[in-house]
Amino acid sequence: MHYEIRQRPNFSIALVTFDAPGEELVVEAAAMVAKDSALVMKTSMRGGLLGAAKRKMLGGESLFQNTFTASKAGETIWVAPAAEGDMLAFDMDGVQPVYISSGNYIASSPDIVLDSSFQGGKGFFSGTSLFMLEAKGRGPLFIGSYGGIHPIQVGPEGYIVDNYHIVAFTGGLQYNVKRVGGMKSMFLGGEGLVCHFHGQGTVWVATRGAAALARFINPFRPTEGKSKSGGLLDMVS
Amino acid sequence: MQCELLYQPVSTMAQIRLNAGEQFLVEPGAMIGMSANMDMRTGLASSNQGGGGLLGKLATAAGRMLTGESFFQNTYTAQNGPGELLLAHTLPGDMAMLEVGQQGLKLQSTAFVASTTGVNIQAEFGGAKTFFASEGLFLISATAQRAGEHLLVGAFGGIQEFQCDGSLVIDTGHLVAWDANLSFNVTKAAGGWISSYLSGEGLVCKFNGQGRIWMQTRNPQEYGTLIGSLLPPRTN
Amino acid sequence: MNHQITHDPAFSMLRVDLQPGEVFVSEAGAMAAMSSHVELEAKLTVQQNPGIGTTLGALFAAVIRKYLGGESFFVTHYSTPYPASVWVAPTVSGSIVHRRLEGGQTITLSAGAYVASAGNIECIVKYGGLRGILAKEGAFFLKCIGNGGDLWFNSFGGVDFIDVDGTYVVDNGHIVGWEGDLEFDIKTAGGGFMGFFASGEGLVCEFKGRGRLYIQSRNLGSMTGWLLPLMP
Repeated sequence: MHYEIRQRPNFSIALVTFDAPGEELVVEAAAMVAKDSALVMKTSMRGGLLGAAKRKMLGGESLFQNTFTASKAGETIWVAPAAEGDMLAFDMDGVQPVYISSGNYIASSPDIVLDSSFQGGKGFFSGTSLFMLEAKGRGPLFIGSYGGIHPIQVGPEGYIVDNYHIVAFTGGLQYNVKRVGGMKSMFLGGEGLVCHFHGQGTVWVATRGAAALARFINPFRPTEGKSKSGGLLDMVS
Repeated sequence: MQCELLYQPVSTMAQIRLNAGEQFLVEPGAMIGMSANMDMRTGLASSNQGGGGLLGKLATAAGRMLTGESFFQNTYTAQNGPGELLLAHTLPGDMAMLEVGQQGLKLQSTAFVASTTGVNIQAEFGGAKTFFASEGLFLISATAQRAGEHLLVGAFGGIQEFQCDGSLVIDTGHLVAWDANLSFNVTKAAGGWISSYLSGEGLVCKFNGQGRIWMQTRNPQEYGTLIGSLLPPRTN
Repeated sequence: MNHQITHDPAFSMLRVDLQPGEVFVSEAGAMAAMSSHVELEAKLTVQQNPGIGTTLGALFAAVIRKYLGGESFFVTHYSTPYPASVWVAPTVSGSIVHRRLEGGQTITLSAGAYVASAGNIECIVKYGGLRGILAKEGAFFLKCIGNGGDLWFNSFGGVDFIDVDGTYVVDNGHIVGWEGDLEFDIKTAGGGFMGFFASGEGLVCEFKGRGRLYIQSRNLGSMTGWLLPLMP
């Protein structure tokens, strides 16, 4: 299959074209925008029930994934993240792993395996439903983010990144998670968990934080107990 | 200090480069990343100003809390060499580095992202309560004693600069900042309260005088209301 | 009408120059800035003098919209005693597309896509059937017919178009509008019963015929689904 990422960098959408019948693309639930009618969609729990349940609880992605199979060459499918932002495609070679934040996964070739239990994976996001995943296999891997995706070339002196802005990073980097400025600043200063990367590699960060957007929207939600019905004035508010 | 704005105008991020020893004051939550030699300290907001010891500092900090900004502020210092900071605000949109003169600028509270250490930030009360249709938004007044002091602001949407030459009406939710010498009064958009309410325009700000107004091309409260209405109710 | 679209493609804002006697209409709440002597009036319909059928249709839509969530259905009519400018902006990020409609040309829009219009444009609210019940932001369509008028509509995200000749399937929330000889049918995305509830692809629209389909690269339903687990 081959692909083109359009509407960059703010509303990136990937147009994937299948090159042969039988080719498959695994897509995160709700990431499909449009497709050729002939593509067959099958919904499954990837990795079996246990694997899927673990991913749902820890990974922040949904339990289900859709696999689209081509019936002939030239069929197309459009996939995009839910958030306004960019997309990145990795052409995985079956050897080098890439680490991605679970909330950023969009689609991949069926050969790519996502594992949340790699060494050092825990602790990136404590107490939330996000998780770091190790991706390995062959074929394209599509990720999306809220905001732009900014690459940071990490060198021996290192770089510190807010955990909730991490989109992906290459294998071979050393990293340790810590709190910035001590306990006081975690609760009061706004920066909580950060990751200190060093070695040689690339870290991609998102220029917007999804958790911060959620905190902004939360007060605008209707409150429990307040009914949605109402008079004429209610209709217009 | 150097500031480069990347990924404009939607996913704008400010890449700030500081010389050894230089400091920058940043709204908590705005940091995306920083070079490993940056030192971050959390303190009460506006601790850079004079103003009567702890009580004065607490009062200013309390003022900032009421403007929707955090109670605390982070001071970043580049140690043992130049350092780098990556900063952004919450909503998608553009950012701008505005020079603060003696005359000063007024800001809508959530637009503040960061400033150089010589900027004096004050919350404005009294009358400002009716300024915005939404609670929790107030005005900030920014002044500086010397030249070369800057404010980093973040907007929801693109930033459009208007030159007010006489009078101009702007929906209050679209305001980012303006020259402090402009006079303004807040009114309802349409004749009659019912019509104004139905038309969806809450309050508008009518500016008079000569000066610059920076507006954002999207309205955060309108956006929050739309998305909020599509979500299930909250329990807290 | 003299107009300019700035800050395209992500945060498009429309400026129109209004002359005395001209009427400009926008969705409620869209006004961002205007010259100080412009007058605003809130109304239910785009047309100046709608028939009873059109008014009732719009009122019905407004009530249903309130229950399902989404944007208000009221519109604002602008007029001015002296030449003036009005700047309008949609609620979400994306593009504004301008279409001049003459001689009965028709474009059907997803209800949330309407931004503004001027001149001889008639917008009729059409209830979306099954789509309306199950799809929050897709409850209604707006059929816009022009006999010498300007129409502006927006997308959430970037706008792309697909020239359909045969059939094409689009996820419900990504439809901005369409023109031409297209019929559509609402379906589940596939994968049987499990597919309908589990896959996240609730509803899709299958378009048949020949015409142009405008799609947006983001959708509010997906975005709210993505945001929900992140709520504090």
